[in-house]
Amino acid sequence: MVEMQLPTPSELCWNAKFPPEQEWIEQTIHVAVVNVWRRAHHVAHSQLGNDSLVQEIMEIAIEGAVCRLQTDSPQGPEYVASLLERLFLQEVRRRRKANNRLVYLGSNQELLTGSAQNPHTLVDSAIDLDRILRGIPPDVRIALLLRYSRSRWSEVAAVLGTSEAAIRLRCKRALDRIRQKLEGQIHDN
Amino acid sequence: MAEIHSLPLDGDNDTLLFEKLQEHVLAHYPNPERKGCPDPAVLKSLIETPGEVTLAALNDLHIFKCAECTRMLMELKQQKKHKASE
Repeated sequence: MVEMQLPTPSELCWNAKFPPEQEWIEQTIHVAVVNVWRRAHHVAHSQLGNDSLVQEIMEIAIEGAVCRLQTDSPQGPEYVASLLERLFLQEVRRRRKANNRLVYLGSNQELLTGSAQNPHTLVDSAIDLDRILRGIPPDVRIALLLRYSRSRWSEVAAVLGTSEAAIRLRCKRALDRIRQKLEGQIHDN
Repeated sequence: MAEIHSLPLDGDNDTLLFEKLQEHVLAHYPNPERKGCPDPAVLKSLIETPGEVTLAALNDLHIFKCAECTRMLMELKQQKKHKASE
């Protein structure tokens, strides 16, 4: 994957309205942009399949961060980078969902009551895989890891020395739990 | 309340489920300091020679909570595909 060149922080901040009496905001945002850029690029690429949007999304995240920080006492670069990354991820998730990942049936008003108005839940909603997968036997763990790394069920069965049907059956319960949690997470958001 | 059609039913084919899970891990489990990550050679082995990899070497289910390992696995798989198609 070709890494997109980092625009200067000033280029990315062109649209942000920094309050002149709070110089620390502009300074820490510039540092945060540099620190967050690489991961932002990876996320945009993997989540949207299109890293050309990373600059646009970063600009939106910067505007959001500036708004939030204006009501704060001065914060350090780490805090600001964390805030910026969170806002970036929220915007990526919002766009990914808007790109037909979800089909909303209903009025525009119904749509507005969804995740876009409460983006905080998006980044705080990691499903607890530890809990879901707690206690599953080693062969199922290996099978899930192999499937996760895109091995076929036939390959998984060969590695484990069993039949495809048998290992699929053994994994079914864990897969059902993961599916249920992922579905639940989307509905919650 | 809006009606939502979310994960499409994938029937016997759970590939889509694993894709969603990968997206979820990429979005929710950043690990830029690579804490607890298995050696890259182990990840490569998981793709190239999966029969030789142990749970211990993989740090058990660490990969399910690590965007960096997930990303690396995806890249390794892509590389393997490219090699196979050459």
